[in-house]
Amino acid sequence: MHTLKLLSSFFKVNVQMSLAYRTDTVVNILLNLMWLGWELLSLNIIFSNTTTLGGWGFGELIALLGVFRLVNTMMMALIWPNTEKFNQSIRDGSMDYTILQPVNSMFLVTFSRITVWRIWDLILAIVLIVVGINITGDATTTLNILTFMLLATTGTIVIYSLWIVLIALTFWFTKFDNNVTILHALLDSGRYPATVYPVWLRLIVTFIVPIAVATTIPLQALRGDLSPSQVVIFFFVGVFSFIIATRVWKAGLKQYSGASS
Amino acid sequence: MSHTITVEQLSKTYQVPEREGGFGAAVRSFFKRKYKDVKAVQQVDFKIEQGEIVGFLGPNGAGKTTTLKMLSGLLHPTGGKAEVLGFTPWELKPEYLRAMTLVMGQRNRLSWDIPAADSFLLNQAIYRIPDDEYKQTYKELDELLELDPLMKKPVRNLSLGERMKCEIAAGLLHRPKVLFLDEPTIGLDITGQVRIREFLREYNKRTGATILLTSHYMADVTALCERIIIIHHGQLKYDGGITDLSHKIAPFKLIGIMLTDADSHDLSKYGTPVQNEEDADKKYIQVKAEDVTRITSKLLAELPVHDITITDPPIEDVIEQAFNQ
Repeated sequence: MHTLKLLSSFFKVNVQMSLAYRTDTVVNILLNLMWLGWELLSLNIIFSNTTTLGGWGFGELIALLGVFRLVNTMMMALIWPNTEKFNQSIRDGSMDYTILQPVNSMFLVTFSRITVWRIWDLILAIVLIVVGINITGDATTTLNILTFMLLATTGTIVIYSLWIVLIALTFWFTKFDNNVTILHALLDSGRYPATVYPVWLRLIVTFIVPIAVATTIPLQALRGDLSPSQVVIFFFVGVFSFIIATRVWKAGLKQYSGASS
Repeated sequence: MSHTITVEQLSKTYQVPEREGGFGAAVRSFFKRKYKDVKAVQQVDFKIEQGEIVGFLGPNGAGKTTTLKMLSGLLHPTGGKAEVLGFTPWELKPEYLRAMTLVMGQRNRLSWDIPAADSFLLNQAIYRIPDDEYKQTYKELDELLELDPLMKKPVRNLSLGERMKCEIAAGLLHRPKVLFLDEPTIGLDITGQVRIREFLREYNKRTGATILLTSHYMADVTALCERIIIIHHGQLKYDGGITDLSHKIAPFKLIGIMLTDADSHDLSKYGTPVQNEEDADKKYIQVKAEDVTRITSKLLAELPVHDITITDPPIEDVIEQAFNQ
C-alpha cells in the first residue's frame, strides 16, 4: 500500500518536472506522437505483407513485437533516465541522500525518474499483445495465456536484474557510464525470435545473456511450445536473477560506503 | 543514563590510489595501481547527551565529515563502535533513518526544476508523515524560517541563502531527534549565517533535538555550542566546554590598559604585547593565567593607569593554537 503511494508520489513529481519547461514539454509530446504514428505505419506495412518468420505465425509475431515494445518502454521510461540520474548522483555525491532515505534504495534508484510521455508506448505495447493473442485465436488456451503473462513478468524481472547488476558495478568502478549501452546492445538481440539465430547463438542469447527470457520464451509459452518443467525452470531463472541482483546491489552499497569520502 | 550518541574507538582508513605526476606514471598506474592507506579517523571516543549542541571542529581533512558520515550510516568504519539513539548507524535500519537527518551544505536534496513545496510532499511520502503532523511541522518551520514566500518558486530560481533554508527544512520535516549538520552555513552571507544560527538554537530549544555540527565559521560554533570537539589528523584533540578550552589549550589572559600618557611606557617587560584591532585605544599584553593578579597589581602600582580590563583571548586564536599543537 505504502509502495503504491510512493509510486504515485514519484509519478506526480515527474509530471511536475516534465511540465516545468513548456517548450520542452510540447516538443516531447509531439515527438512521442510522431514516433507512435511511425510505429503504427510500420505495423500497417507488416499487416499488409503477412509472412511467417522462423516458423512463427502472424499473431505470434505481433504479440512478440508487443512484448519487445513493453521491454523497450521500460528501458526508455525508467532505465535510461534513472541510469543517467544514478551515474550523476554517484559523481556529485547526492547518492548519499538516496541511501539515507528510509526506503529501499533499489526502489528509489528504479523509480525516482519516470519519462511520463512514454505512457503511449505502454498502451501500444499492451494493445499489440492483446491483438496478437487474439489473432492466434483458437490456437491458444487460457492456461497458455496465463503462462505467457507469468513468463513475460519473469522476463521483465530478468532484464531489470541485469540492469541493477550493471549499474551496481558503478559502485566499484566509480565511473562506468557505458552501463546502459551494454544493456541496450544485449537487448537488441531480443527483437527477433531467438529461433531465428543459429543454435550456438541461441544458447548464448538464452542463457548467457538472458534477454530471450523476456521476449521469445513468453511467446513460446503462448504457443504451448514449453513443457511444464521448462516453464518452472524459466520462472526460477527470474527469481534467481532477482536474488542475485539484490545481493550485488547490497554489496555495491557496502562498497560505496566503504570507499567514498 | 544512556547517551544519545556514543562513539568508541571509531576509526576509518581509506585506500587511496597514488601515482607520480606525468604521462608515463599515468600509464603505469593504469596497469599497476599503488594504494596508500589514509587514516582519516583514528580511535575517536566521545559521548553526547540528548539535547546538546556540539560543535565539531578541525581544519580541512581532519576527519570531521568522515566521522559525520559514519554516524549517519553512510560509511562503514574500519574499526570501533558507534551507537546513535540505540542503533548502529551503518546498519541503515529504516527506524534509524526516520529518526535522524544529515544536512550537507554542499549537496542538494531538492529537485532543481520544481518548487520546494513539491519536493517536500515527496519527502512526506518517503518518510510516511501523516498529513496533520506534516502541516504542523511545516507551520513551525515556516514560523522560524519564513518559508512561505520561497515555496512557489522553482528551486533553481532561489538564492543560495533561500535554497539553504529550504534544504534544512526538507531535512527536518520528519522531526528527527538527531541532526548531523555538515557546514550548514557555507557560502552564506553574514545575515544568512545569523538566521540559520538563530533557527538552529530555537529549534533545539523547542524540540530538544541533539545537534552535531561542523562549520568553518567560528562564529557559528561560538554562538551555538557550549561544547566543542576538536579533531586534527583524525585524532581527538579536545572535548569539553568552549569556555574551558582557553584554560586547557592556551592558559593565557589578555590585559588591556589605557594609560594617561600612552606612548612613553614600555609594556613588553610585563607581558607579550599583542595587537587588538577592535579596541585601538587600549594597549594589550598577553600574560600567563597564573600571573594575572601579580602583573595587574604591578601595572596599577607602576603606571598611570586610566582603565584596565582582563579578558580571555579570542576563541578563534585559541582554536587555531589547538590545531597547531
